[in-house]
Amino acid sequence: MDFDNIKKAVVDMEVEKVKDLVTKLLKNKRLPEEILEKGLIAGMKEVGRLFSCKEYFVPEVLMASEAFYAGFDLVSPLIKTKQMKEKGKIIIGVVEGDIHDIGKNIVKVMLEASGYQVVDLGKDVPTEIFVDSVTRENPKILAMSALMTTTMMKMKDVVKSLEHKKLRNKVKVIIGGAPVNEDFAKRIGADGYGEDASAAVSLVEALIGE
Amino acid sequence: MNKISRVIRREEKLAVFPIACADHCAHLLNMNYSEVASDGTKLARALEHGYRIYQYDMVLVFSDPYVEAQALGCPVKFSPSPTLLGPRSNQSIDRTEEIIKAAEILKRKVDVPVFVSIKGPFSLASFLVGIEEFLKNLLANEETTSNTINTALEFQIKYLERLLKLGVNIFIGDPVASSSVISPKLFERFAFEPLLKLIKKIKEKELIAGVHVCGDTKPIIPILDELGADILSIEDITPKTRTLKMGGVSTETIFSGNQTKIEEEIKQALIESYLILATSCDVPMETDSKNIKLMMEIAGAYSND
Ligand code: B12
Repeated sequence: MDFDNIKKAVVDMEVEKVKDLVTKLLKNKRLPEEILEKGLIAGMKEVGRLFSCKEYFVPEVLMASEAFYAGFDLVSPLIKTKQMKEKGKIIIGVVEGDIHDIGKNIVKVMLEASGYQVVDLGKDVPTEIFVDSVTRENPKILAMSALMTTTMMKMKDVVKSLEHKKLRNKVKVIIGGAPVNEDFAKRIGADGYGEDASAAVSLVEALIGE
Repeated sequence: MNKISRVIRREEKLAVFPIACADHCAHLLNMNYSEVASDGTKLARALEHGYRIYQYDMVLVFSDPYVEAQALGCPVKFSPSPTLLGPRSNQSIDRTEEIIKAAEILKRKVDVPVFVSIKGPFSLASFLVGIEEFLKNLLANEETTSNTINTALEFQIKYLERLLKLGVNIFIGDPVASSSVISPKLFERFAFEPLLKLIKKIKEKELIAGVHVCGDTKPIIPILDELGADILSIEDITPKTRTLKMGGVSTETIFSGNQTKIEEEIKQALIESYLILATSCDVPMETDSKNIKLMMEIAGAYSND
């Protein structure tokens, strides 16, 4: 099937092929929403699965996301941005003092692939920047990543600072990264923890659900 | 002969090294970390201090992972922690001379083996072009990748030769080659050979060669064994290896200071017949020194049993 070919081309990391297939389907008057959902997003979901079970590693995920974005860039201008806005905005970043951003980038790709609008604050992000952008962007979710025992406490600072600024009940806070877990999330007053990128998507879906 | 060498020869069971490096040791002395990282004399002073207070079985000259990358032109900042700011530019700052100076001083001052930490050519190459770009090119552009790795390897060979002249031992760290990041297949294709070349050079001089890969290493244990290094420093020491293992206590545990957990992990590690009991990576800067002392004590008590 046409959509399956797109899905396969994303999984096979074939940038040009994705572009060709998407262009062809658009010419044939197929709905961009459907191409996105059944082709591109379905492809990235499979990539997420392969990564979770260690068949794919970081390079494969990065290349597959290139293929995904190649198609995404073609269909997204045609889809009423309304739809993405409705699904919700997410702010993501790696906490201050921590430059490990590989995992965060993968989580970001998977969230975008699932139709969320993601604002990426990058790595080594100071607490104030997280809080300021919650004020400015008014996201549904704030997602933070930390890979070090020495930096994970910064997540607590951000949660506290949100409380202090009376912003805490306006946004759901989710966290992830190797040294943190469910229990830590509870302790610092976050709303959820995700073990990997696929879990991040389910978590977001559960929190702000469809 | 020193303990580390005896354990490598399986003549003794246990040596200990909680991987205390420049940041932690500088912290102990209230020294400014960025000064320590760029001044060989200060670096040696900090590392000697760590050795004196903990009395472990080796010393590792390691300031941060970016010494070579910076010498090759990558911008780096040190505050609040060492951070790579971008790929290679034409502004290089060469700290290798400072590392060599520190190693020289320490060789005179301490009576345990001195190791210098250098980067594996794979990880160094990833810093030169930016990690994401590099990881994509592993699949998209083999030629560019090989060229970058060769640039890194050539630099490391020259640096290594200068170090070996001092008669110091070498630890090669290759974090980006870990199975947390790349597949075993890509490890074999791109990371293995350059490591092997460096290790051969170290062994030719009859010095000790250690390899350190943090993160997941389970899938690459057989390949790591093939390198023929003397020591393999890894996060999870449960898999069987031919090479002497180093590790056992996670950096999280040592940082947390949970006494029961520290003791448990050590006990578990000592199931190994021969081991360099160590932390899984360098101990975080702000680790309370009583946690490290505790690790030294427990290990001492067990090995006297
Ligand atoms: C690759 C790596 C690096 C690379 C980072 C490259 C980059 N741009 O990210 C380099 C070599 C530069 C590096 C540097 C350092 N590193 Co490092 N590094 C690693 C390593 C080996 C793998 C990390 C990784 O990328 N994993 C792959 C990704 C895909 O997985 P992930 O990040 O866990 O993300 C997944 C999930 O956690 C989750 N997730 C992540 N974020 C989020 C967020 C949300 C909201 C959700 C829901 C889910 C989620 O989804 C992701 C996808 O599945 C780890 C080892 C380990 N055990 O993790 C050490 C490690 C993290 N590093 C460590 C250290 C100490 C350092 C250094 C300080 C070394 C030094 N002494 O100078 C430096 C400087 C770091 C700094 N200031 O931040 C330590 C941290 C120890 C500690 N204190 O806790 C580790 C644990 C190694 C160890 N065993 O000690 N490192």
